[in-house]
Amino acid sequence: MPPVPPDDPEMAARFTLRVQGGEQIEAGEWLPAEYRFEALRLINMHANSEIMGALPEREWIPRAPSLARKMALTAKVQDEVGHGMLLYRVAETLGRSRDEMIADLVAGKARFHNVFHYPAETWADVAIIQVFVDGAAMQTQGALRSCSYAPYSRVLKRICYEEDFHIQLGLDVWRSLAEGTPRQRAMLQDALRRWWTPIIHFFGMPDRVSPHTEKMLAWRIKVKSNEELRQQFLRRFVPVILEYGLEVPDPGLRWLDDEQRYVYTEPDWEELKRVGRGGGPKSAERLALRQRFHEQHAWVREAVARWLHDHAQDAVA
Amino acid sequence: MTPGGGAHDGSPRGTGDVTRPQTPAGAGSTGTPARHDAGGLWEHPLGAAKDVWAVFVQGRRRDTHVYAGDVHAPDAEMALVLAKENYTRRDPCVSLWVVRADQIHATAQDAAEMFVPATDKSYRFGGSYRQQRRVLQSSYQAAYREEDQ
Repeated sequence: MPPVPPDDPEMAARFTLRVQGGEQIEAGEWLPAEYRFEALRLINMHANSEIMGALPEREWIPRAPSLARKMALTAKVQDEVGHGMLLYRVAETLGRSRDEMIADLVAGKARFHNVFHYPAETWADVAIIQVFVDGAAMQTQGALRSCSYAPYSRVLKRICYEEDFHIQLGLDVWRSLAEGTPRQRAMLQDALRRWWTPIIHFFGMPDRVSPHTEKMLAWRIKVKSNEELRQQFLRRFVPVILEYGLEVPDPGLRWLDDEQRYVYTEPDWEELKRVGRGGGPKSAERLALRQRFHEQHAWVREAVARWLHDHAQDAVA
Repeated sequence: MTPGGGAHDGSPRGTGDVTRPQTPAGAGSTGTPARHDAGGLWEHPLGAAKDVWAVFVQGRRRDTHVYAGDVHAPDAEMALVLAKENYTRRDPCVSLWVVRADQIHATAQDAAEMFVPATDKSYRFGGSYRQQRRVLQSSYQAAYREEDQ
């Protein structure tokens, strides 16, 4: 971000009041510089995660066990890339071009969600990603539908609508494996075990009362705290695991009836930080893949630019 | 800071702040600044980048075309192709429109009060003219006696 002049305090105060009163801000309206920065960071990372999130599942398209599964998985991966497109466009309204954001992503300078730094080793991993990773994302994104930035909130409505299909598809894959042979059940249980920590990590560090978090909540760029979302996820998805007689991979997980919340074994938060910085088991490989495709498809961008040049009169001048 | 952009339903997008010029940032994504000085404080172009197209989807023949979102494309044909891929994957569609987003003008966000009626406009609604029905109904009820049936 280039250095920005400090906000007019009166305008900033009026803005905060509007947002706290539940109003949504449209693209192009005046924004405090820090709001713009935080909203852009959030939406840019969300867009990156959609693009990078397509990669682990994409690996399974050629190996899907039936044509029906292959078609559904292809549709899901296409949705994720489509979400990336919608989100980059929203991020653009906050001041960065899509080209810049994609260049940062390809150069390894941008972050994406921790879960997409892990391998998808078996077909059961696909079920876990579709049910639990998309389920986790749904908690965050569902809450953010009421965020204060109107273009983001509108796009999230459509994203959540499509994510619902992903979860239903995942539950169907999950069910067929859970009701399958002992080997299939073991494969599912093993995938769940490997994914448990990354999914608990997904919601971010435990809540601390920091002025930063408070500001994000006050501006409604964040709607629920990390821990609230994690609890919401556990309430929705722990029953899914138990329903099929599978084991929750955390022996410390307990439901506290009087507090109406789960306690769980504290995961290694250092791992989350390390993975977020690109130190995950698949970080380098996925990034290399993204770079390779970016280069491989450069001719498409060149062709478009050439078309533009040759049809300067009737195309965009 | 780009006025205009990724909204998702029929509502007008990107109403630039008319009292304070916005510094164009974000390479390739800025448009004409709002007309602060032309006296046209209540309207301004959305000001999207040149290659941004707004997409309108018609679900059924009898529906209107509704704004669905944007695509980046060098020309209308490509914009329609990308719009089809991005906005018609599930819900029914019989027709698509694309229009350059930088050609769209919008009323300013803080001009919203101009749409609020200055006086009572209830006489414009059919619902305000129900007195006659009440009269008819009550006279019918008065005339209707159980013992006559």
